[in-house]
Amino acid sequence: MVINNKKPNTKYYLFYVVKFQSLPFYFKQLFKLFTSLVLLQTNNRQEMRIVDVKGQQCPAPIIATKKALKESEKGEAFKVLTDNQTSLNNLTRFLMDNKTEFSVDEADGVWTLIITKNVSATSIAEVENYCTPAASVFPKGDFVIAITSDRMGDGSDELGHLLIGNFIKTIKDLDLLPRKIIFYNKGVTLVSDESPFLRHIKDLEKMGVELLICATCVDYYSLDGKIEAGILSNMFVIADALASAGNVVRP
Amino acid sequence: MKPDLLQMVESGGCSAKISPKQLEEILKRLPLPDDPNILVNVETHDDAGVYRVNDDLALVFTTDFFPPVCSDPYEFGQIAATNSISDIYAMGGDPVIALNIMMFPAAKLPLEVYAEILKGGSDKASEAGVKIIGGHTIDDFPPKYGLAVVGYIHPDRIIANTGASPGDSIVLTKPVGTGIILAGQRLGITDGNDIAEAKKLMKQLNRQGAEVMKKYSIKGATDITGFGLAGHALKMAKASNVSININMRKVSLIGGTYNLVDEGCIPGASFRNLDFVENDSHLGKNLDYNLKMIACDAQTSGGLLISVPCDKTEALVKDLHEAGLQYSTIIGDVSEKKHKFLYLKN
Repeated sequence: MVINNKKPNTKYYLFYVVKFQSLPFYFKQLFKLFTSLVLLQTNNRQEMRIVDVKGQQCPAPIIATKKALKESEKGEAFKVLTDNQTSLNNLTRFLMDNKTEFSVDEADGVWTLIITKNVSATSIAEVENYCTPAASVFPKGDFVIAITSDRMGDGSDELGHLLIGNFIKTIKDLDLLPRKIIFYNKGVTLVSDESPFLRHIKDLEKMGVELLICATCVDYYSLDGKIEAGILSNMFVIADALASAGNVVRP
Repeated sequence: MKPDLLQMVESGGCSAKISPKQLEEILKRLPLPDDPNILVNVETHDDAGVYRVNDDLALVFTTDFFPPVCSDPYEFGQIAATNSISDIYAMGGDPVIALNIMMFPAAKLPLEVYAEILKGGSDKASEAGVKIIGGHTIDDFPPKYGLAVVGYIHPDRIIANTGASPGDSIVLTKPVGTGIILAGQRLGITDGNDIAEAKKLMKQLNRQGAEVMKKYSIKGATDITGFGLAGHALKMAKASNVSININMRKVSLIGGTYNLVDEGCIPGASFRNLDFVENDSHLGKNLDYNLKMIACDAQTSGGLLISVPCDKTEALVKDLHEAGLQYSTIIGDVSEKKHKFLYLKN
């Protein structure tokens, strides 16, 4: 019965049921099984490191996990064992916030987390950046777009807002993409985390369009920390981009 | 040999507070007493209640008690008393009288420890000009201590957490990190100097800070305790119906706090506080994880978080420095209510 509750090892379990009628043999097998399990455990330890934080409370489990993460190679997995629900919750929260891959399994009041050290968040960003040169397959024309408002045209504000969104979305379908899109004055609100058109702007950035965002304007509209795409730029960069462009398109 | 109080508790000081989320739920179910003389009640989650006696006088009333935050009973008494009195200062009041609240395991610990805790509390109360005029003890383990304090205030000069206005700067008078430093101490990984620094800060009354606030007729402030910088800033933003923006890089930290968090020394209370603040807060994707958890670190006897009109900020900070609060810094500002109540960035 003990075996049944352990991590399943089907081979040994079946063997033990078959031989059940013979009691001395059963004991012998049980002994063998026990030693095998011990061996198995040792093998596991060689294959996968085990961080046992049973009986420990926060922050000790997180310290131990973070240490193991630091010591692991990228892609390497290790186990963390805990018997405390709060520690488990805090650990999983910690791992999710740090975008670390893990799985959880519970048996007999002990949770086993299998944690894989992944490519760090910064490296993921690097990979994305490295991907952008490939985006040069999207040909560019000799023009930049200046978005100076969160609306397009004069008249109804509501309509103007819809139009600018549609415009941004449509840029992606142009035969030639702009070299740059410059956002200034109220235009910067379109690049904030609350902008309904952010997805399309991010798509354009991925397609290799450089996005210049007026830093003074971001500050003015209190959007500090909320700009989700592009490069915060000063007036020189913006003036240079406008002056050196073959054409400036202002929707 | 003196018993080591710190080894008797899992979470000491204000880390032992109940989860702010649960507390909010429970308080919602209680009927609010209806009386025009109640000037500040639990509704705005302020530091203390305020009750008007007449047109020139109101009473500020508060209590706080918690399990040990340090090994030495005398120091524990000092810190607990400082923390209890702090709520009066945060409201702009003058603390006057207090009662001891004590839970003490008489069969497990020598009574000398009991006397030492009370002595620490009494000495700190004297420093604050507070007369302890009674108290109550029950037998319980681990020990817990604090005060119920009454202060005086003019009804028109209450500094409430409802008083933050768009355009104000946010100033913090003490560095943060006591929860992290103490958790690390329990595991033996905190530097001795940092422990000493944390204890010194926890024993520092917020009196000087309160005096400077009064000089500048500040309307909005709170003190930072168990819900952490983020939790208390959020409560103030909600009560004032504004957004508070904090730059975590501007926040002073006690010694090796950042490195401890980077090693994973994140107390459980930080996760409880994070859980409480995250729905109403913008925690930018670029916000450093360690700084985020530091913002959620439960403080014991933390500093004052002051909302100060922009034109007075520089002079106020200068006065705070001159009053001996050398870590006082501008850590953010207040804006009209945006999408969220609290914005943390770095």
